Amino acid sequence: MTADPTALGIPEDAMRRLAEMRPGQSTSLFTSDLSVNEFLLVREAGFRPLGLVLGTSIYHVGFQMGRWNSNQELTVLSQAMYHARELAMTRMEAEADQLGADGIVGVRLEIEFKEFGSDIAEFIAVGTAVAADDQQTPDGQGWRNNQGQPFTSDLSGQDFWTLIQAGYAPLGMVMGSCVYHIAHQRFWQALGNVGQNVELPQFTEALYDARELAMSRMQAEAEQLAAEGIVGVQLLSLGHRWGGHTTEFFAIGTAVRPLRADHVIAKPQLVLPLTDS
Amino acid sequence: MTEWDGHGLPPVAAERMRRFASSGLRTSLLTVPGAAGVKSVGFDPVGEVMGCIVQHMGWSGFGGCGYFGGVGALGGFSGYGLGGGTVTSSGRAGFVGFGPYVDALYHGYGTALARMTEEATAMGADGVVGVRLSVSDLGNDNREFVALGSAVRSQSRHRPARVFTTDLAGQDVAKLLQAGWVPCAIAYGISVAVRHDDWRTQRQSSWGAGNTEVSGYTELVAHVRADARYRFDQQARSTGAQGAIVSSMGLQIRGIEPSENHRDHVAESTVFGTALASFHRGSTAPTRSLTILPLR
Repeated sequence: MTADPTALGIPEDAMRRLAEMRPGQSTSLFTSDLSVNEFLLVREAGFRPLGLVLGTSIYHVGFQMGRWNSNQELTVLSQAMYHARELAMTRMEAEADQLGADGIVGVRLEIEFKEFGSDIAEFIAVGTAVAADDQQTPDGQGWRNNQGQPFTSDLSGQDFWTLIQAGYAPLGMVMGSCVYHIAHQRFWQALGNVGQNVELPQFTEALYDARELAMSRMQAEAEQLAAEGIVGVQLLSLGHRWGGHTTEFFAIGTAVRPLRADHVIAKPQLVLPLTDS
Repeated sequence: MTEWDGHGLPPVAAERMRRFASSGLRTSLLTVPGAAGVKSVGFDPVGEVMGCIVQHMGWSGFGGCGYFGGVGALGGFSGYGLGGGTVTSSGRAGFVGFGPYVDALYHGYGTALARMTEEATAMGADGVVGVRLSVSDLGNDNREFVALGSAVRSQSRHRPARVFTTDLAGQDVAKLLQAGWVPCAIAYGISVAVRHDDWRTQRQSSWGAGNTEVSGYTELVAHVRADARYRFDQQARSTGAQGAIVSSMGLQIRGIEPSENHRDHVAESTVFGTALASFHRGSTAPTRSLTILPLR
């Protein structure tokens, strides 16, 4: 990486370009939410950024009481968390569709509780819409997914580059949500455990149940997209504002399909960085 | 201390420029990797540069409750299909919708950046990298806007007509230049919108509403974000750039009480970033990244 900058025309060409710029020229402009590293890697993977795309929904999350001593899914809350995210994602996809994008990379899905009140949150999906330099994929299917929508991916630019290099294409972000109420222990039960190291099977089972539900919902979405697998899965437990015994289990990942039969990437070089990071 | 009329640089800053010209000392706010980065693409650090302005922001325009919001759709940004109830600061109709407040913010950031670039020009620099923009509240509706960065000069025969500015760190600037992109200017978009909490909004956000999207608030937030992004685009475009990298996006919501027992909401959205121009001749950027695995 220590190529002579003057041999590459830097900074001579760069300064000439700036000197030529006239304010007010009409050009086509792209915007992007990517970092410099991500931007350059996405370019190198063969995609051009078209624009920052965003979808938002402010959602009132309903109310459901969990029975004090029972393990149960709070379906009203599960539905709310899923529906609101889906609204934000769909709006973001609609913006990308208008730009004629092949996909959206670097998607961030966030929930922010604002000054509107305690049951009301903003659900936001932000990403960068991209178009492929080469419209043809090696398998001839094109970049859009089987729903005719631009693909979405929450992978970083670095991961996206690696994925494409290895012969995979993202299909779409898939997610599953489950809001679960974990039973409180009955008094005698809690008393029986005092001073003992024991498993609390009821709690274990509740956490298993909740995670399974979230993951199987995510899997079902991937099956709908005819994916080969899901990469970069995160399984989060989010407390939000419901107190200790009610938790959202949220599974999210990027469904992928193979572009070609071999999946080989160049063997990485090992380096020893001299900085802490 | 002499009286200063507000034009050009304040006397102390001008004095610092004179001292700089006569001394060989070079200063910079760059980190070691940042300085090494800009060096690797043929730039030399020249000195640290600063611009600031203290403004009194006493008049934010008639915010009202946004009930007469329909007028906001006249002029300004309307590509999003403005609804009846949301007034953004770009949709001007008299003093509705926080227009003067947003103008004051633009004036603050703009003046701080202009004074910073004036210092850079006085030092014979070609650009300012790693710019940090900050606003601090001094109380009594007074705010200070500060722009702080490191001026650099290129080892080339060409000099740009205007000093370029970027909020990217030295390393990032180096990577962009290696790949054939040059930063041209910091761009920002700011918008404020107000919306009347109508009966539908109140019903959807009440305790017993169940699962529902609060369409009024969604509209408020979607419009204010769209307007800020639109103004960001316009500003980046006006420099003649081909692209822009967003570095931060913010959204603040606050409640106001325009009349007894009634609350409305005001949203303020900001987008900051750097506009880029490409100078490579081919269609794709000549990035040459290596796959490496750090041993740590």
